[in-house]
Amino acid sequence: MMNSKIYEDLSLVFSRARVVFIVVKILFVILILYFWKLQILDFQMFWQKSEANRIREIVVPPQRGLIRDRNGVVLAKNIASFKASLIRENCKDYEESCLRISELLDLEPEILKERVDKYRSLPLFQPIVVKDNLTYEEVARIKSRQYELPELIVQSEPKRNYPFGTLASHVLGYLQEISPAEMEMDQYKNRRLGDLIGKTGLEKQYEDSLVGTEGKVLEIVDRIGREIGEVSNVEPIRGNEIYLTLDFDLQKKAEEILEGKEGAVVVMKPKTGEILAMASYPNFDPNKFINRFTPEEWVDLINSPKHPLENRTIRGLYAPGSLFKPIMLLAGLDLRAVNDSTSFVCRGSIIIYRHPFACWKRGGHGAVNLYSAIQHSCNIYFYQLGKRIGIEEIARYARVLGLGSPTHIDLPGEKAGLVPDPEWKRRVRDEPWYPGETISVSIGQGPLLVTPLQIAVHTAQIANRGLSVIPYLYASEIHEGHEIARQQEKTGIRSPIPEVYFEKVVQGMWQSVNDRGTGALARVKGFDVCGKTGSAQVVSTATAEKLAQQKREIKTHSWFTGFAPKDKPEIVVSLIVEHGGGGGATAAPSARELIELYRAKYD
Amino acid sequence: MINQTQIKDIDWILIALLVVNTLIGIAVIYSSSHYLPGNYYLRQVFWTLLSLAVLLVLLTVDYNIFVTYSLYLYIACIFILGGILIFGKLIAGTKSWIKLEFIQIQPSEITKIAIILLLARIFSEFKRKYLSNEAGISSSAFVLLAVVLVALQPDLGTALSYIPILLGAFILAGLTRKTLVILLIFTLVIGIVSWGFFLKDYQKDRITTLLTPEKDPLGTGYHILQSKIAIGSGGLFGKGYVRGTQSQLQFLPARHTDFIFAVIGEELGFVGVVVIGLFYFLFLARLFWSVPQSRDRTGVYIIFMVAMMITSQFFINVFMTIGLFPIAGIPLPLLSYGGSSLLTNYIAVSLVLNIKMRRFVNI
Repeated sequence: MMNSKIYEDLSLVFSRARVVFIVVKILFVILILYFWKLQILDFQMFWQKSEANRIREIVVPPQRGLIRDRNGVVLAKNIASFKASLIRENCKDYEESCLRISELLDLEPEILKERVDKYRSLPLFQPIVVKDNLTYEEVARIKSRQYELPELIVQSEPKRNYPFGTLASHVLGYLQEISPAEMEMDQYKNRRLGDLIGKTGLEKQYEDSLVGTEGKVLEIVDRIGREIGEVSNVEPIRGNEIYLTLDFDLQKKAEEILEGKEGAVVVMKPKTGEILAMASYPNFDPNKFINRFTPEEWVDLINSPKHPLENRTIRGLYAPGSLFKPIMLLAGLDLRAVNDSTSFVCRGSIIIYRHPFACWKRGGHGAVNLYSAIQHSCNIYFYQLGKRIGIEEIARYARVLGLGSPTHIDLPGEKAGLVPDPEWKRRVRDEPWYPGETISVSIGQGPLLVTPLQIAVHTAQIANRGLSVIPYLYASEIHEGHEIARQQEKTGIRSPIPEVYFEKVVQGMWQSVNDRGTGALARVKGFDVCGKTGSAQVVSTATAEKLAQQKREIKTHSWFTGFAPKDKPEIVVSLIVEHGGGGGATAAPSARELIELYRAKYD
Repeated sequence: MINQTQIKDIDWILIALLVVNTLIGIAVIYSSSHYLPGNYYLRQVFWTLLSLAVLLVLLTVDYNIFVTYSLYLYIACIFILGGILIFGKLIAGTKSWIKLEFIQIQPSEITKIAIILLLARIFSEFKRKYLSNEAGISSSAFVLLAVVLVALQPDLGTALSYIPILLGAFILAGLTRKTLVILLIFTLVIGIVSWGFFLKDYQKDRITTLLTPEKDPLGTGYHILQSKIAIGSGGLFGKGYVRGTQSQLQFLPARHTDFIFAVIGEELGFVGVVVIGLFYFLFLARLFWSVPQSRDRTGVYIIFMVAMMITSQFFINVFMTIGLFPIAGIPLPLLSYGGSSLLTNYIAVSLVLNIKMRRFVNI
């Protein structure tokens, strides 16, 4: 009786419960199988992901190597600087973060976003630099908001600094952020987005030596990026120190000479090719724009009509003017077109190919031999010499003597200049060569183009009586106090032109400075300066005629190149002052100042 | 009230399984929160002792008395749920807590007990082969009222965890093909309407993110991704207790609560998952095996609904940690930190024990 009441028939209900329990068992099996997949089959993938989650690689930038002059004066060093970086992973609300950060750092929100967008391919926990060269006030502002804005961090980094500002700025070059195109180049394969690299000058040329090796800290971080331990810490290795051939005082002097003008100065040692000074003006202060952004200063410089960023010594192309005359003379002597007894009469002008050609001296020089032709830079002599030997020979000798090809100095971006000949004119202008052009080229005008450095190297060859040199700036390299590399002695190539002909040219150049010639203002008593002045036409003949019709004065570029002393040459000075007028009046006295300074310091 | 035979008939094995799983939970809670202020594992120990005491005390009262008063209990719960909606303070973004002197209680958890008892009462009278309309509609109405109130807190996860209890009752009552179709249509309509009108964007994201968790690894997909990374990187033997990087370095969200199973997967590995899974399975199996050990229909329903409640939460939670279910905010019963949830589950198990120990007793 009791049983029937208590134990009612629930078998149907029980069987339904059993079915559900079977489903539960199946689900358990599925669950275990899925964990098998996650933990056993996909283990490697998830393991790597968890490792990447845990360990953040912090790159510690190395100190860039110092650059010193030949006596150890530091021309490029590093100073401490701070940069602010955004860790996107820590942003609660990206838009909000951008807004607050741009407010905090006084940046345009659009520029900030653009910047971050540029690096969107980086992992989210990698900091992206949003502002560098922070002031201490900005650092304090960021630090004080560390808890509200965990996504914004401050990192310190060494910053390139040029203690003398504009000094040798073209030689040293400057740094800027690596571009996406450069990232793909082999040379920069180890560099990262946001790295600063040498963009011009020696900073670019010796990038690999200067850059050093970055350090790496692998730190354990928690989810919000707080560092809670270190896995490993590899110290950065400082970049190698580079000693230059430059002399601080001569460099400074060279820049003072050019101040306020446009021009270029090269001072070098003729025997070795060591560059003692290399100045280009106007110059710039690279300190003002070494950062990751494109500051206004830099854009202004890029767009300036005076091209202050251009290194005129290797990239400025000028007509050599009368500086070409020694080459003409060497060609003439070697071809036996002229000799010591050859003389031409200068009456101030001459008709060649039914066209009048003038000498710079209206009254004429009278009878002129090869020495006085160089001494007084007589055009008439060289017109006739040019007519005798012809353009093909002129071009050949110009090339033999180093024109029309780069000097291979250790600087990027050097230009080759131009030595014109009929073949060139056919190719480039599709016109035949006119005989009258040969006459222009004979005195260094026409399409002939040289760089100031080419002139200096050419002058060194004359000073060496035919031995050519390759100019260089890099003297030696120091790694952690030990010299690891040194400029190899380069034995110059002897010119096929006999030494005696060079001696005659040297004699003419000596007279030019020491015997009331055009270079008289370069004279240094007791130091036997030999030199040649030049005045290069600024514009093409056609433009010149047009300007002359408008009665406008065209000031020519003022050249001087020379060496001293005559018999044991120690120094070559070449300089050009754009629109300086006559070479003898403007350039020669400046050369004297440099030679005097050199003599005072080293002789 | 209680006699010697009944004490002899207490299912000590079930209590042991309950406590073992709770202790496993405490160990994992320690590992996943020892570096946080708040001593969560100690609090969980306290809650365990309290829950165990409640469990034992409730055994002294015949479960039929609870069933008798179940409607009042349910009404009380509804009032509390309504009351905290109006007067409650926001804690962790929801109004789901009642703050007492030193402990907080989630009424929505205790409501589960009320629902189980009320449904048991409704269905105990039900002796037909299949679910009738009246029983189906009235029980649905009671449950859905609670669902809506809890969903408004808003605590959608807990609200939806009531549904399997109702479903359990339906299954026992018997579902005809017609009822199944109606239920499916009803679910679809509710789903579409909520998607269109009620679900918040973050809730929708949680569902869509299931399909493409990689798409937005820092947004909604983040939790799922980090949880999967934690589990997957645990491998066969795990990274070791208290040595899971995902968990210890706080890449993993809600480590000691909703994502506690990911901590197990990471630190104890596949072996740990299988062993702990086995303990859990034995616990659930013990509940299912208890179903036929009831003297009456009421008891059968209660045991089955308790089993359904805990089992469904277990699967929803674990499937959530491996990205097979939307992040629902449902704790893992017994293992996750949380006093109310623990207490509720202990009371539920207490009911099962209560029924089993009284199966031979006269009314």
